[in-house]
Amino acid sequence: MRKTNWLLLGLALVLSMFLVACSGGSDNADGGDTGGEKSGEKSGEAAEGEPSGEQVLNITDSAEIPTMDPSLATDAVAFQWLGSTMDGLYRLGEDAELEPAIAKEHKVSEDALTWTFTLREDATWTNGDPVTAHDFVFAWQRAVNPETGSEYGPYMMNGVIKNAEAISSGEMPVEELGVKAVDDYTLEVQLEKPIPYFLSLTAFGTFLPLNQEFVEAQGDKFGLEANTILSNGPFKMTEWKHEEGWTLVKNEDYWDAEKVNLEKINVSVVKETSTRVNLYDSGEIDAAALSGEFVQQKAGSDELKVEEEPVLFYLKMNQQHEVLGNVNARKAIQMVINREDLVNVILANGSIPAVGDIPQNFVKHPETGEDFREINGPLIETNVEKAKELWAKALEEIGKDTVNLELLGGDSEVAKEMDAYLKAQLEQLEGLTVTVKPVPFKERLRLDTSMEYELQNAGWGPDYIDPNTFLNLWVTDGGNNKTGYSSEEYDALIEKANNEYATQPVKRFETFLEAEKMLIQEDAVIAPLYQRAVAKLWKPYVKGVITNPMGPDYTYKYAYIDKK
Amino acid sequence: MARYIFQRVLYMFLTLVLIATFSFFLMKMLPGTPLTMEDKLSETQKEIILEKYGLDDPVPIQYLKYMAGLAQGDLGISFQFDNREVTDIILSRIGPSMQLGAQALLIGTALGMLLGLISAIYHNGFLDYSSTFVAVIGKSIPSFIFAGLLQYYVGLKLGWFPVALWGTWEHTVLPTIALAMFPIAIAARFMRTEMLEVLGSDFIQTARAKGVNKFGVVFKHGVRNALIPLVTVMGPLAISLMTGTLVIEKIFAVPGIGEQFVISITTNDFPIIMGTTLFFSFFFVFIILVIDLLYGIIDPRIRLAEGEK
Amino acid sequence: MDNSKPSKDLFVPVDLKDSESERLTRPSLSFWQDSFNRLRKNFGAMAGIVVLLILILMAIFGPYMNKFDPYSQNLDHSFIPPKVPVLENIGWLGLDGVETAIIEGETVESAMTTVKLRMGPENAEFVETRVISEGGNGEPAKIEAKLDIYKAKNIETSYWFGTDSLGRDLWTRTWHGTRISLYIAFLAATIDMVIGVIYGGVSAYYGGRVDNYMQRVIEILVGIPNLVVVILMILIMDPGILSITIALTITGWISMARIIRGQVLKLKNQEFVLASQTLGAPDNRILKKHLIPNVTGLIVINTMFTIPSAIFFEAFLSFIGLGLPTPTASLGTLIDDGFNSLQTNPHVLIYPAIIISLIMVAFNVVADGLRDAFDPKMRE
Repeated sequence: MRKTNWLLLGLALVLSMFLVACSGGSDNADGGDTGGEKSGEKSGEAAEGEPSGEQVLNITDSAEIPTMDPSLATDAVAFQWLGSTMDGLYRLGEDAELEPAIAKEHKVSEDALTWTFTLREDATWTNGDPVTAHDFVFAWQRAVNPETGSEYGPYMMNGVIKNAEAISSGEMPVEELGVKAVDDYTLEVQLEKPIPYFLSLTAFGTFLPLNQEFVEAQGDKFGLEANTILSNGPFKMTEWKHEEGWTLVKNEDYWDAEKVNLEKINVSVVKETSTRVNLYDSGEIDAAALSGEFVQQKAGSDELKVEEEPVLFYLKMNQQHEVLGNVNARKAIQMVINREDLVNVILANGSIPAVGDIPQNFVKHPETGEDFREINGPLIETNVEKAKELWAKALEEIGKDTVNLELLGGDSEVAKEMDAYLKAQLEQLEGLTVTVKPVPFKERLRLDTSMEYELQNAGWGPDYIDPNTFLNLWVTDGGNNKTGYSSEEYDALIEKANNEYATQPVKRFETFLEAEKMLIQEDAVIAPLYQRAVAKLWKPYVKGVITNPMGPDYTYKYAYIDKK
Repeated sequence: MARYIFQRVLYMFLTLVLIATFSFFLMKMLPGTPLTMEDKLSETQKEIILEKYGLDDPVPIQYLKYMAGLAQGDLGISFQFDNREVTDIILSRIGPSMQLGAQALLIGTALGMLLGLISAIYHNGFLDYSSTFVAVIGKSIPSFIFAGLLQYYVGLKLGWFPVALWGTWEHTVLPTIALAMFPIAIAARFMRTEMLEVLGSDFIQTARAKGVNKFGVVFKHGVRNALIPLVTVMGPLAISLMTGTLVIEKIFAVPGIGEQFVISITTNDFPIIMGTTLFFSFFFVFIILVIDLLYGIIDPRIRLAEGEK
Repeated sequence: MDNSKPSKDLFVPVDLKDSESERLTRPSLSFWQDSFNRLRKNFGAMAGIVVLLILILMAIFGPYMNKFDPYSQNLDHSFIPPKVPVLENIGWLGLDGVETAIIEGETVESAMTTVKLRMGPENAEFVETRVISEGGNGEPAKIEAKLDIYKAKNIETSYWFGTDSLGRDLWTRTWHGTRISLYIAFLAATIDMVIGVIYGGVSAYYGGRVDNYMQRVIEILVGIPNLVVVILMILIMDPGILSITIALTITGWISMARIIRGQVLKLKNQEFVLASQTLGAPDNRILKKHLIPNVTGLIVINTMFTIPSAIFFEAFLSFIGLGLPTPTASLGTLIDDGFNSLQTNPHVLIYPAIIISLIMVAFNVVADGLRDAFDPKMRE
């Protein structure tokens, strides 16, 4: 159906702040992450009503939980349900503000290397054991211990927690990890270097505590069944039917139990959008993420909410390729794509065109409070004529007339349309043919890692709330760079932001601004496409669900049902 | 007979071993490991993870280990669900698929036979054409289109049965109907042809001539004789349902094995792909064996031929 | 009464020449003519043949019947409903390019706002609304809204089957897709036939140990579910027309081989073959003159059944995400694209679904008809 005027439609919709981000390490909008039925309401609405009626929330997720072991978890579904059943040092609250959870407060040393957390004494595990500093020490050591086989442990902790790198490569015993329990309720963490966003990390799934006795007693089976999980969070899992669904009930022993309203959350695994919508319409579930066509069909409904997420999608270009190594060719590719049509017609779910490496409404200037995106403005424009000129110039420089590029397909629900669209858009450049190769998400990650691609439609969601999570990707030999981009200047900027300016927020922010310009405008490393949003139907009686920009997609702790 | 069964079972195992070997090496040809973020891991860590999945050995050793595990019912550990045994995953997913498949097969063949019977009795009449029409439609429209329509109209608009999900018997109704369309079509066509042939044969004519009424003949002599060959189509039907469940399960959000197979393909979860392949194959050869034996038991002529051997 | 006695002169012996004594009164019909006669009388089969011919012609010429090509996109024309000149005047066909929706709201005004949003604010002046019920008393207000998109967007040409999400003309894509699906199916069926006939023929004709070994191989292959093999093959090959065809043929030939073997085994012990052998005819003459003509009917029938199942399988593969890469159109990929729009833009799904069903019905009916036609028992 025709383009929807999102400005107007937007008036009728609640545009909430952010949405959850992705599984840290993986680009994606794949099954796992789309798992992200992301969305929810702005918690501001919480003030409008109060719980009444049966406090049961019925929702769906798009995939089975791979594991409930925080050390082994890697995808959005796992982090979502870990987040609902467990509390770390801090947890994400309204507007992505960190609120104290197991930690009551923390102190940072002058050199910003030692963090001391004071833990609350009334937190318990569901088996009655108190949650202590030792649980954190055990969990973090376990995460970096190579024997555990954790992928996220080393990824999140190396270079952050002291000695993590050496331990994960087996060169040092785990006891050397920079984390220790001073006493039962005091946790001291030594960092490798000052990390301005460390607090935000403590809310991440990999940093959750674990009860050593319980984990060791379960052995291999830990985190696989409802009865091999131990919770310390707002909810506990009572039933887990694999691939079918799971049930969470309120954890009465939770330290903050009085704030938890929901008695029960029933989650079913549903993969088809149309099935989800039909279930929603028949009243069996309280929320349903939509694809563009259904958004059109439901336009005007009060139940439709659009959640903007800080998840960026872009065309990744392999600079090892003869043509893509040419900066003019990359600029031409950046410029030739019409992003308005892409978001309005193909996605049609409130996603917005991406014009930089940092999504909008993600980070603000530490002093003026202006949005990062707003300060740097759009770094790319769509200009087909200019793109053609640049392309012609590039071909001349390389000495070729025709080029064939292979595009690894995306994996969103509209991947097919998207790929076909990108192909058609790119082929406006004279002499360029694009072959689309659809690959499963995991296969694309593999081809990315080994750099066996030419163009790919990739995505990135933040692991913590800081521009570094996006900009740090593109440093020389960065684990997720994989474009062959290597610029000393750029590396120097990122280095400066993270070391020299680590304790000077304004200068740091400005350095990131500069780095983004270099990355997108000068070096044209990637061609940003869009910033994802999720359109979702929520029954009007569901209130107080908070959406998060990272970690678990939603916080259900404060959610309630108002059936008045 | 015993020798025949023994021989058949032997072939069955030979087939399974070959399939296991074939698919094992096929999997080895495919790129991909259980690691999602290979690059961010240290060598030590990679080794430990690969060892956990038994991927650190040379391929022939891996093969032998796999086959040894297979003999004990151990299919390895899933890539996508950390630490979860493939055997457990498969066993826990079979239930819903089997239930849907069995229901669809039974209901489908029963209804199909009825339709076929009506067609045959009222040969070239209006009822014949209508039931033939139903059968043709059932065979010609892909089951997932049926499923989508059923879900929307019967589930949502009429609200007769649950739209999707799994749990009570009501939840099985729509997916069963969607799946049963194909068996209905096949059974109806088959029954019609068989009945027409049987009804035209001498002993029926004799019975009619002796004054047995039309329906008496049909049920007493006709159906029994037409049933025998129907057994032969049951096998292929059961197997075609396997294909059907793959998509039906997704549409109705049924936690079945077919659905799991498709997910595993898209997530490069080779142990599950392997395991499911072997499971499907086992099921397949088993059905063929059962059908053949059943056929031998039902049809006296075949038993005779065996006896002469 | 004497007169009544007929004169002997009236009876003239028929001059029966030897050569005529064996003359046939019915015209001599070859097997093929005979079969064709029977087929001609089978209405269903003839209708099937006509439908197939039309579909094949459309698959060849359909894409050239308007000015669109199957790949060119026009995002301004996304999801335009179908409109066919002349037929547009027949309301129930829904080929008038008008989008109709019944919209509910608490009050007429709120429903109107919804109408505006749903039909697109920029199209507001082209929306015709009709209040079905005013609402009130707990009943929602209902409004029927009609939007002539062709007028609103000022589209001159008609999209006969409408357009898809990228504004590609579905008429062109559907026939193009039919062509590709048929191509895959015919190719797969031909390969199956060639391999199956050779394998089955050799196995049966030479018999003995050769047959024994070849049958053991088949027995094992039969045990492999073709679904699994096809999927495994698609996994290791890059998806494309050829790889899907190959995947389909890997196990597809087996049933043909079995049928051919059975038939040849039966034939080769029959008198005319034995006679020919005794007279010293070489193997290839026996094959050519006796065996092949006698199994042709079976081959044709079996192939007729293989084609629709190949088309089905292709659709199925697309549906589970292993089909042809975008933007190639096949009936499978079109149905897969349309499935998600089933409730929102049904026209995307309907036409390819109708065509795939027609192909299935037609092939099945024709195959049935052929089976009856080739069956000498059906001779009158």
